[in-house]
This record gives sequence, C-alpha cells and structure tokens, in this order.
Amino acid sequence: MGMSTGGSSEGATPNINVTPLIDVLLVLLIIFMIISPLKPSRFEAKVPAEPKDDENVEIKPNPLTLVISLDKATKGIKLNQDSIGDSSDTKPLTDRLAQIFKDRENAGVFRQGTNEIEKTVFIKAPKTIPYGDVVKVIDGAKMAGSQPIGLQIDDLSD
Amino acid sequence: MGMAVGGTDEYNSEINVTPMVDVMLVLLIIFMIVTPLLQQGVTVDIPRNMISPDEDEEIAKDTSVVVSIPNNGQFFIGKDAYPLELLGEKIKARMEGKAAQKRIVYIKSGVNVEYGTVVEAIDTIRKQDIDKVGLVADKKKEIEE
Repeated sequence: MGMSTGGSSEGATPNINVTPLIDVLLVLLIIFMIISPLKPSRFEAKVPAEPKDDENVEIKPNPLTLVISLDKATKGIKLNQDSIGDSSDTKPLTDRLAQIFKDRENAGVFRQGTNEIEKTVFIKAPKTIPYGDVVKVIDGAKMAGSQPIGLQIDDLSD
Repeated sequence: MGMAVGGTDEYNSEINVTPMVDVMLVLLIIFMIVTPLLQQGVTVDIPRNMISPDEDEEIAKDTSVVVSIPNNGQFFIGKDAYPLELLGEKIKARMEGKAAQKRIVYIKSGVNVEYGTVVEAIDTIRKQDIDKVGLVADKKKEIEE
C-alpha cells in the first residue's frame, strides 16, 4: 500500500477486502452442507410377544399372513412356499408383494376388525445369516408397502 | 504502515481482516475436530444405500435407547458395553416412564453380524414389554435431477 507523498491527491480508496472472509464462510457452508443430510433413518419392525407356556389358546392360522423366509445356503427368498429371487436381488419379491397388496386393495381384503388392507409381513431368517442380508429383504418388503413388518425370533433354524 | 512525512491527512482506510480470518480459521478447525467426537456411541457398519427406511430424528436424541452391535456377541448402549444379561435391565431403566408410542428401541447392527446375535438382542428387548424395534439403516442419497 503505497501512500502518496505529494499530499495533493485524496487517493485512499475505502475498499474492504472481503475475499478471505468469503473464502472462510464458503468453507464453513460446505462443511455444514455435508453434515446436515446425515439424518438417521430406520426400519420399524414389530416383534411378537414372548410365547407363554401356560396359554392354551388356539391360534387360528391367518390365511392372509405372508411369511418371507431366507435360506442360509443359497440366500434364496421364499414368499410363503414360493421361491422368489435371492437377497442380492429383491426386486422380484417387491414386485410380487406389490401385486398381492394391489389385488387385496381391489378385492377389499381387510385386516381383521379394521378397515385397513392387510399388509402384514413376517420375516424369518436363519440365525447364522449376516444381518445385512436380512435388512436387504426388509428393504425389499418395505418398498412394496408392507406394514407392519414382523420379525420372527422364535424357533429359528441355525 | 509507513505514514507519509509530508504532513498530509491521508489515512489507510482498509480494514485489516487478517485477525478475523485467523479467528474464523481457528473456529473452523475446532468444528472439524469436534464434529466427529459428537457422534454418539460406537462406530457400526450399518446397512447402507437402503431405499425405503423412514427418517427418524429420535434416533439421534439422547433420550432414545440405541443398542449397537458392532460385532457378534457385543452389545453397546451409547459407548458402554454390556453383556446380554445386563442389557435388559439397562433398557428397562432407560425406558422408564416413556409414553407407549415412544417405547421403541433402536438397533444399530453391523451388516456382517450374524442375525442370531441381533435376534438375541431383540429377544432381550421384548422381555421388557417392548414390541417395536427400529433397525437403523442409511438411506440412499437421492440424486437431484
């Protein structure tokens, strides 16, 4: 910044150099932009109540119940008795479930005692399978609109 | 700043922003160091790129109960490890006095953990009269059009 020595000119320009400020603020902004989308999310799952030994109530099998089971060796998915894709590709499962729910909507199949469409799905997986595969299946089922998703946790195979 | 010797009334009217930039940079560094420390609990390799999980801000709250399972047979609540036998009590204590619809335990499990371990945790949870669990998973980032 060379000050003039002549004293004749009034050449001191009152400019603030905001460039460094803007640099810093932009960096801050970028950091917050990266941090903020990390909103946690989750799948909600229902767990059936503990079986009680003293209960002798006869449970009527519900013909509308959908059970998705996972095979340990092949990682194949079974919807009730039908094989349908495997855990690396849950699209067939999603499509199939979506179709079933759509049919039920058209036919007006309601959950017992309510006026909601029965969309309950149970997931049954062997104990030694990695958790990641189970979550993939849950993701697939959720995409089709299953709600609630139940996790079977009794009498699982190894 | 060398003032002119001529006796003229000329001042350098530029604001010196260097100290401000210094301070802001220090703040920035502080934030950079602190943010990873703010992360609650232990690091878990949770399922990523899932399409349909629901966002739930409750997970990040201090009051909610999050059971982390980073590896087979390891159970953490927050940063403290608990054996399976003590997990139930701890969950019960933390759930005390919560409204019915808030009685949910979040499970943060690693993708390579055996499902059996997760089932053990869920079994413990349901013994505390809780019938809802939240399986924490990362949502796939939507690509903006």
